[in-house]
Amino acid sequence: MSRDLIIPLDGVSAPHDFGLDTHRDERTTDASPARRAWRLSLAEQPWPPLHDLLLGWPLPLAVLALWALAAHCEWIAPQVLPSPEAVALTFKESLLSGELWANLQISLVRVFAGFAVGLVGGLALGVALGLSPTARDYVYPLFKAFAQVPVLGWLPLLMLLVGIDEALKIILISKAALVPIALNTYKGIQNVPTRLIEVGRVLRFTRWQMLTRVVFPAALAPIWNGIRYGLTHAWLTLVVVELLASSEGLGFMIVYGRQLFQLDVVLAAVAVVGAVGYVLDKGLAAIETRLLGWRKEAF
Amino acid sequence: MKLTRARVFALAFFASTTLALAQAPSVIRIGVATGGVGAPPRTGSSTVGLVNGQGLLEKEFAKDNIKVEWIFFKGAGPAVNEALVNHQLDFAWQGDLPSIVHRAGGVKTHIIVGSGVRNGLYLGVPPDSSIAKIEDLKGKRVAVFKGTNLHLAAVRALAAHGLKEGDLKLINLDTAAAQAALTTKDIDAAFGYVELFLLRDKGVAKVVWSAAQDSYRFTRQTVLLVDDDFATRQPQIVQRVVDTVVKTARAYSDEAQRGELFAQWGKAEFPEKIWREDFISQPLRVRLSPLLDPFLVARYKDASDEAFRLKLTRSKPEIDSWFDRRFLNAALRAQGLEGYWPEYAADGNLAGGSVAAAR
Amino acid sequence: MRADIVPRPLRGFVIPALLVALWWAAVRFGWSTSPLLVAPGKVWQTGVDQVASGKVFAALGASLWRDLAGFAIGASAGLLFGALLGASRLAERFIGPSFHTLKQISLFAWIPLLSVWFGLGDAAKVAFLSLAAFFPVVLNTFEGIRSVPPDLLEVARVLRFTPAQRWRKVILPSAAPAIFAGIHLGLIYAWLATLGAEYLLVSGQGIGNLMIDGREHFWMDMVLFGVFVVGLVGFTLNWIASRIEARALAWRGRSVAQF
Repeated sequence: MSRDLIIPLDGVSAPHDFGLDTHRDERTTDASPARRAWRLSLAEQPWPPLHDLLLGWPLPLAVLALWALAAHCEWIAPQVLPSPEAVALTFKESLLSGELWANLQISLVRVFAGFAVGLVGGLALGVALGLSPTARDYVYPLFKAFAQVPVLGWLPLLMLLVGIDEALKIILISKAALVPIALNTYKGIQNVPTRLIEVGRVLRFTRWQMLTRVVFPAALAPIWNGIRYGLTHAWLTLVVVELLASSEGLGFMIVYGRQLFQLDVVLAAVAVVGAVGYVLDKGLAAIETRLLGWRKEAF
Repeated sequence: MKLTRARVFALAFFASTTLALAQAPSVIRIGVATGGVGAPPRTGSSTVGLVNGQGLLEKEFAKDNIKVEWIFFKGAGPAVNEALVNHQLDFAWQGDLPSIVHRAGGVKTHIIVGSGVRNGLYLGVPPDSSIAKIEDLKGKRVAVFKGTNLHLAAVRALAAHGLKEGDLKLINLDTAAAQAALTTKDIDAAFGYVELFLLRDKGVAKVVWSAAQDSYRFTRQTVLLVDDDFATRQPQIVQRVVDTVVKTARAYSDEAQRGELFAQWGKAEFPEKIWREDFISQPLRVRLSPLLDPFLVARYKDASDEAFRLKLTRSKPEIDSWFDRRFLNAALRAQGLEGYWPEYAADGNLAGGSVAAAR
Repeated sequence: MRADIVPRPLRGFVIPALLVALWWAAVRFGWSTSPLLVAPGKVWQTGVDQVASGKVFAALGASLWRDLAGFAIGASAGLLFGALLGASRLAERFIGPSFHTLKQISLFAWIPLLSVWFGLGDAAKVAFLSLAAFFPVVLNTFEGIRSVPPDLLEVARVLRFTPAQRWRKVILPSAAPAIFAGIHLGLIYAWLATLGAEYLLVSGQGIGNLMIDGREHFWMDMVLFGVFVVGLVGFTLNWIASRIEARALAWRGRSVAQF
């Protein structure tokens, strides 16, 4: 389950930090007894895990059946709603012809390149803002103003400046990733509980020890949240930029299908976009459990 | 027959529906597959553009209190298709490829009058480019507005000169975006229409190839279509629309009106000298012909085959019955214009008896 | 500590001022011959013209109307749906997986589908914006309701609250921060989606259309002005949302962690 952390763009309110909350993933073992009891009390009955898995299926299957029926009985015109078989067939064809993989590859390369740039920039900026009051004074207002314009607001401007080539995509994607990462890093560092800093001071930590043993571990959860949010946003931005100016990629596949009224191509591409988004998010979630697994419900 | 309550209701229902069917609509919606310019938008290049610009349909239907709504689509043909599928348009002025795409998709329309036949296609490149002919496009980044009739004509031209789609990078850009990209040299070349002349006159592009000079097979066709539902319900309105288009075509097919024609179109996106250039050595009677002659039918059949071959469509829709000549023939008869415009055969040459008339 | 050359409050203006000066110098001394480089003064002038003629307000009005309409629909649907998922474990088991899969589909991928399903006009855009606001609201509402501390529910049970009372006095207040966070996010996403919708569903007026027009005509000043307006609106929406949030949650104090 994703944690949609709020990004306070007024710089005043603290983020609602669900990083300190329980993991909502079902298999976590560091849930306190109180939590587990609550789950039982809120639920009507405890459902065993196998049922869990099966219960998720009836709805999508029903929708699929309805869809197939609607397409067959032509309740809705085939141009508006292609049959599931048509979509599956198109999907298979584009997979076999290598077209799907080629487009997917290009999109993935773009998003990772842009995300990498945004990650490095965001972390650097966030750390600088968090640790240095001078940097904060000089840079933060400008950064805040910069962040107020959503990524897409920059699109026409960038199109004029750098054209429609790869540079446009990389810049927009890195901006999409940089802002949440920088903000969350900054806030994460700022919101390290004072009592932890005090403990560090009592133990006479050097600055370096303070950073590596207290600040960064405490800030890790919000930072990782920022990274997840950044990747989601980067993927989102990639799709829209490819919809607007591209000759290849998943977004381009969607545009092509739209122009030629082949909604099955559009649906197949949309499914792939969703699947990739899911995998990316789950991947980061898995890393998060690994990284933050040592956190306990201490207080 | 006993007058039961059920029968009374049934009768009332039928009466009201027939009444509703016969009732005139309050607004006629016409989709135009181009962005146009200005507010309200206008467009040049065709008789439909003239009808729009001079408000002729508004005048025609004013006495019946029917409004005429012109909807311009920056997304061109493909965007018009989206509206057609949702029955949001009664008429559509659209190019050959997108029309074929929607027919292959099962949207029910009929072609009622020609408006913009043998439209040209041009290839524009940056002024310092080394590209001089189509063959030079190999491996280059070329913009083309996918899904429009520009797309098909361009791919045909490429194929005829030995280039497959995979031999170069075709980038989908709409008209305005392609112009911008050409100016900033983001692309190496762009297929387009007369907007390329505008860029050339500004000094940011040069035009290196023209379809009209190469072969008629690379020209594009545009027609006015009617939504089948609307045609069944309101045949008189369709007739009056066709009458207006034919009358306008007649008025401006006269060579004496050449200057006036371009002046009218000049009020829209492109100044009149651009049109003069596009129409060099092409008689008005040929370009402005509203006829649905064998040439046009053959072009559409050809386009349909081509589109299927290039996998732009999944099926080859039947073409002959797509043309509904009733309205056109009635208009020609009523205005005494039978034989005024030259009829062309499928091979692009004049059909037998019309030679004398094509003066 | 170094001597503080620039007093604290003014420091934020240093870098922007330097950038504007650099920009002005670049135009004045012709460091770049690109036709895109317009003077800061020209941008200001364009801005003034647009405001004076009211054109920008018409465009902005159209965009904002769609934004708020879509947001209202999406947020209310989101609240209901999120509450359903949160309250009923059964509902979560049935609908949850499908919802979470749908949520992964990048927002803008829906546009071609919506434009074919709704055709032209504002319907497609508003539908899109509702989707944009819907997902974050559902997720955060669900999370908020699920995170209600069990102790509070115990108390509710001991005091024999009716379901209505339980909701009004325990669950909703406890979930309030999360719900407001979701609404705030929904607002941000809806504004982002408004712009995207104007780029991709080109019909009608809007601030995004203004910028695209500017871009097509190479009017850099118009584009920059548009960027400024978009940023301003984003900031205002954020500020309003934060104020409402602060007001609604004022009784909670400034505690961050719930436990």
